[in-house]
Amino acid sequence: MTTHLQQELEHISQKIFQMADLAIESIQNAVTSLKNVDTALAESVIQKDTKLDQLEISIDEDCIRVLVTKHPAAADLRLVLAILKANTDLERIGDLSTSIAKETIRLDGRSPLKPLVDIPRMSEMAINMIKLAFRSFTERNADLARDCIELDRQIDDLNMQVYRELFSFMAENPSTISQALGLISVSKALERIGDHATNLAERAIYYIEGEDIRHQE
Amino acid sequence: MDDKIVVEDLSFYYGDTPALVDINLKVQTNSVMALIGPSGCGKSTFLRCINRMNDIIPFTRVEGKINVDDEDIYDQKFDVTNLRRRVGMVFQKSNPFPKSIFENIAYGLRINGIKDKYSIERTVEESLKKTALWNEVKDRLNDSAMGLSGGQQQRLCIARTIAIQPDIILMDEPASALDPISTQKIEELIHNLKTQFTIVIVTHNMQQAARVSDYTAFFYMGKLIEVNKTDTIFTNPEKEMTENYITGKFG
Repeated sequence: MTTHLQQELEHISQKIFQMADLAIESIQNAVTSLKNVDTALAESVIQKDTKLDQLEISIDEDCIRVLVTKHPAAADLRLVLAILKANTDLERIGDLSTSIAKETIRLDGRSPLKPLVDIPRMSEMAINMIKLAFRSFTERNADLARDCIELDRQIDDLNMQVYRELFSFMAENPSTISQALGLISVSKALERIGDHATNLAERAIYYIEGEDIRHQE
Repeated sequence: MDDKIVVEDLSFYYGDTPALVDINLKVQTNSVMALIGPSGCGKSTFLRCINRMNDIIPFTRVEGKINVDDEDIYDQKFDVTNLRRRVGMVFQKSNPFPKSIFENIAYGLRINGIKDKYSIERTVEESLKKTALWNEVKDRLNDSAMGLSGGQQQRLCIARTIAIQPDIILMDEPASALDPISTQKIEELIHNLKTQFTIVIVTHNMQQAARVSDYTAFFYMGKLIEVNKTDTIFTNPEKEMTENYITGKFG
């Protein structure tokens, strides 16, 4: 028998999955807009961020209602708590994608300083991490979440690589500083998205195993 | 912390039917232990074993041991009257004596040998204050207790229990027949009383168990399935059966 609580949890889960899809789409489009200097695509990323903001509020409300009226316990409780926190991470991912899209708009049709190689790789990794974290949720498989957390180091390494490359551009030719700083902020945004994806994976492990693995390095 | 109650390999039979099987459990001093489980799982039977209330039911048998303060309460030499003084009990349905509010508390003191009028008056007042009933009844102590509301009657029964200074209070669904406000008062009371007493409470209301207890024991079909800290039981229970019960998947 499916209880009302199970129906509510299913409903909230569907919403958070929808939010994850939107967040992934916004990362993809933001980085593509930068790569192709596509201002229209960048603007659509900024516009669609409103949808993520609305979903964040709506999921928060749903979770609060379930906590107050259904008193979930054990795995049900952990699922609600994990979704409440994952919700914030996804909304932040949306904001970070928006700041990447704003960088495209700032280029105003000019090509980026250099052809983008590492930045699209970082975005692919970040997207892969988010997908792994959510597969971990749906399949209740904590190993997938642990794989996700492992990937974060690679994004951090790529971020440092991008920094080094852009520092050398700036040192050689100070006229590139403004554009280089723009790309550094994009790289930093993707590195932060990786951190949020790590958080998502930690929430998944908490939901599946009941263990809080944050801050254990 | 010390263990107030230590239960070892306890089994209990109604005739040939086992109602409790091999229960092992410890209750810490000054803590609240909630017993949860579906109807007929043995939690009330277990509660009644702690003050030997089951002794009066014919054709019952106990195996194993319950120690209260390191004394085996089922030892043949053990004084049951003394045990029931040390282990007070509050029932589902409030059961005040058909006497005045004052006499409900004073009676227990007198039969425990306290004769001094002032001492009795002081203890009555203290007990009513501890159960947050004093302000509601101080002007009508000589009125019949039967005129109090259900919630007040239950708090009077708790006042009557604590007046004789037991070590342990057993509560068998003490709030199940009360309205939400009275229930909240009883729960607040349990929270305050644990500084002085060790409390074991049977409840069908899982949120109540989560709210009032430090430890929770889950019983199923006469067996103790899991005992753990209450927050662990309600966030991350070890046993799948506990999880299924508290998430409403059976029971």
